[in-house]
Amino acid sequence: MLEGLLGAYGSVLPLILPDLLGGVLGTLRLACLAFALALVVGLALALAKLSDNRALRTPASIYIEIIRGTPALVQLFLVYYGLLSIGVKFNAFEAAVIGLGFNVGAYVAEIFRAGILAVDVGQREACYAIGMTRLKAMRYVVLPQAVRTVLPPLATTGISLLKDTSIAALISVPDLLLRARDLTSEYFMPLEIFITVGIIYFLICFPLSIIVRAMEWKWHPETR
Amino acid sequence: METYAYILRTLAHACVWTVTVTIAAFVIAFVLGSILAIITTLSSRAVRYLIYAYVEIFRNTPVLVQLFIIYFGLGQIGFKLSPYSAAALGLGMNGSATVFEIVRSSLKAVDRGQYEAAAAIGMTRIQSIRYVIIPQALRIALPSVGNYAVGLVKDTSLASAVAVPELAFRARNLVGETYLSTQIYLIVAAIYFVLSLPLMRLASRLEMKLSSGRHKNA
Repeated sequence: MLEGLLGAYGSVLPLILPDLLGGVLGTLRLACLAFALALVVGLALALAKLSDNRALRTPASIYIEIIRGTPALVQLFLVYYGLLSIGVKFNAFEAAVIGLGFNVGAYVAEIFRAGILAVDVGQREACYAIGMTRLKAMRYVVLPQAVRTVLPPLATTGISLLKDTSIAALISVPDLLLRARDLTSEYFMPLEIFITVGIIYFLICFPLSIIVRAMEWKWHPETR
Repeated sequence: METYAYILRTLAHACVWTVTVTIAAFVIAFVLGSILAIITTLSSRAVRYLIYAYVEIFRNTPVLVQLFIIYFGLGQIGFKLSPYSAAALGLGMNGSATVFEIVRSSLKAVDRGQYEAAAAIGMTRIQSIRYVIIPQALRIALPSVGNYAVGLVKDTSLASAVAVPELAFRARNLVGETYLSTQIYLIVAAIYFVLSLPLMRLASRLEMKLSSGRHKNA
């Protein structure tokens, strides 16, 4: 049936699909690890940028500006090939996790900062006025509001990270796209194979985008 | 020292390609994205859903995959594009989805009363969009478009994967020739930074200026 629908590709697809799904695992692993690193880096940068101490604030600002002003691809090359010549050696996967994690961390930092700043000081003061402890105020008043500000853009950043992991293929991390490239040189069907890859990315990213939109719809009626 | 002069000369040439791809992709993205956004406000549901599908497809797949489909994929079935055209088209179409979202939300942000007022003085729907809505929406859209342009400058580095001789591509070649990977990638990062810094500053300036304007009106 597949062959009737897709022609010659119908007989190739079942052969390459297991390989591509192996690539999907690589992509998801990379995305999750890089995102975890980005959250840590981002939180640290956000706190540094909000601190009263200039010695923390200035380096954090400079870091964020430099990361945001240069391409992730060049940062990856720098981590993978560049650090090599000064004796620091990562394998491609580690370099991709570190490169993407520190890159996305700069964007995450701005999201955290905005989230923390968005909750009015008056909210906390009001909590203390009605006798809540610091912990209770944080738990029941400040965090729920901060989460609503932070979660949608954070999830959006996660989705773009998931797509951006594809550039790791350019330093030969065995992700979905690299598998696909290898397969195109084996089967000479770049159009079909890359479209299949596009569909796979779409099937992962689109449902996530829908969830983000639902969050925004529910929590931020002003953006409707 | 001679090596560095050679590296800088080569990268300066590459810069021209980076800027050219950026401009070409930006024009495609801006024109296509704006037109699609304006069409959705005017057209029937069927057309609107087609445009939404286009936008979702480009927003939910990696640019690099889109570039590969256009360059390697279309090449296979006889539409062989040059690396430069493939990169400009791929980045442009990808960007059109972003610009679409920006323009559409800006069009929505213009007060409903503006449409009604334009209709009340006898303007047709197209006239009111042309003379009343678009000028205001453009103002709202400008900072986001600026941010998009900053992202685009960096994304042109992906054109290296389809062999456009721009900065990232040349850098890789130079590293192969000279083995000065750290130095070369740092120089390249610095060049990208210098290219995007004025755009970043402009975008944040616009953002501040335009948002303060809105506060005054409120």
